[in-house]
Amino acid sequence: MSRAVPFRSVLRSEWTKLWSVRSTWWCTAVYVVVAGGGGWLAAAGTDTSPRADVAVQTALTGFGIAQLALVVLGVLVVSSEFASGLALVSLTAVPRRTRLLLAKTVVVVAYCLLLSAVLAVACALAARTLTVVPGGVQPDDPDVLRTLGLQVGAAGLVGVLGVALGAVLRSTAGAVGIGAALVLVAPPALALAGGELAARISQSLPALRVGEDAFLAVPTTWPVGMGVVSAWAVGGWLLGALLLERRDV
Amino acid sequence: MIELAGLTKEYGTRVAVDDLTVTIQPGRVTGFLGPNGSGKTTTMRCVLGLARPTSGTATVLGRPYRELAQPMRRVGALIDPRARHAGRTAYRHLLALAQSNGLPRARVDEVIDLVGLESVADDRVRGFSLGMGQRLGIAAALLGDPDVLLLDEPVNGLDPEGIRWVRELLRGLADEGRTVLVSSHLMSEMEDTADHLVVVGRGRLLADLPMEELLGAHSAVRVRTPQGPTLADALRRAGGHVELEIDGALRVEGLGVAEVGDVAFLADVRLHELARVTVSLEAAYLALTDDEVEFRAVTR
Repeated sequence: MSRAVPFRSVLRSEWTKLWSVRSTWWCTAVYVVVAGGGGWLAAAGTDTSPRADVAVQTALTGFGIAQLALVVLGVLVVSSEFASGLALVSLTAVPRRTRLLLAKTVVVVAYCLLLSAVLAVACALAARTLTVVPGGVQPDDPDVLRTLGLQVGAAGLVGVLGVALGAVLRSTAGAVGIGAALVLVAPPALALAGGELAARISQSLPALRVGEDAFLAVPTTWPVGMGVVSAWAVGGWLLGALLLERRDV
Repeated sequence: MIELAGLTKEYGTRVAVDDLTVTIQPGRVTGFLGPNGSGKTTTMRCVLGLARPTSGTATVLGRPYRELAQPMRRVGALIDPRARHAGRTAYRHLLALAQSNGLPRARVDEVIDLVGLESVADDRVRGFSLGMGQRLGIAAALLGDPDVLLLDEPVNGLDPEGIRWVRELLRGLADEGRTVLVSSHLMSEMEDTADHLVVVGRGRLLADLPMEELLGAHSAVRVRTPQGPTLADALRRAGGHVELEIDGALRVEGLGVAEVGDVAFLADVRLHELARVTVSLEAAYLALTDDEVEFRAVTR
């Protein structure tokens, strides 16, 4: 019997699928404009800042909304296949379903990380040039690097969450709706509601900004914030993989 | 080779495929016939691992589909001609599929030429007609040069030239020793294409037999004579089933042409016409599935 198809072949296939549709470029454009543009505007509107990492964090404000584009991108990578019936063909070509989902996830995460890294560095440059900080914004400042690393890492997890939602719900509208509620609407809404319980729930949702600068949600420490987003992404992904294996196409 | 053993698929209380046991042999084109809703597509989905059987098994080349190491090199399938992303070009659709099984890029150009989509290869498939979708689906099925082909209604939406092309393609593939299973509701198409038939109705196997046999079982002899009553009596004594046709000719079942001629000679009856009439596949099929039609138009 011939050897199994190597995983990198499936990755290459999913990469081709990702860049060969317009929705990817639309999501990318929205992400770049909102995260990059928002960041530059925030930096330009902040004349001075007490610390370098705070200045950078301010310049990353745009990510708070922009990452919704990554949720949409992740959702579409899965849900568009079910909407068009392409899933029939894809799962005939790659019948080991978790393998297919993993390939999609790796490609989406790689894309999210790469794009977010470029954008985050651009925003840090904005902070460096537009905001006055004692000692300046130095590229080797560990606090600055941590802030940037957190943002890039969170963007990768948001991509995973999108793929997971797509696999669980299969419907683009449903998955984007629930995704937007989870990451963008519910955390600030609950923060506004006030009260101990609402605050707890707000902190336990995968908000698009993690840590103290929580973009309208209830702030928390960054390890807790990353833990929460990771748990949602990984938990959702495992559920998606389980359902994909179990359900008929 | 495709083997189904007791294959059953239920959706809630509806039984789509009911204890289907049949083997699809290589080297010939097997027609998969049945009325709408008879379980043809569901059966194919079970074979391809897209739907999980409620009970029973479906194997391809001796293994469950999901365990095939290089699925596209073993099996090519066309289930739904609309199964494609509208915004992707035909070339990139096929390229992504080829890459997923480690097939060379050159193979994409080959199948595009083979199905005649060269001129639209770089167009987004959004504007494709049903016929172009079928060609794209057939191209995808042929990408891996597979040993087994499953095609669900491949000629649906094709023009006459396209239908003839598919027919010759399937014949050629079967002659190379491949297993070809093709479903269709176009009986005339099957008559010219398939060597063997598997007929299902309400998910159950109704017939699994060579095309010749099905047609033979429903063939008859037509005979015309000025001495109708005399010949009819003689034929009945010889064991034939005789019916009077509208134009006065006799329709004889159960006897061959030669036997009818001999009976007439011995009965001293003059004949004006003696012919074997082969019923169309359509008539044979309707006779077979008459009780099994699930969705029948109400006529009153």
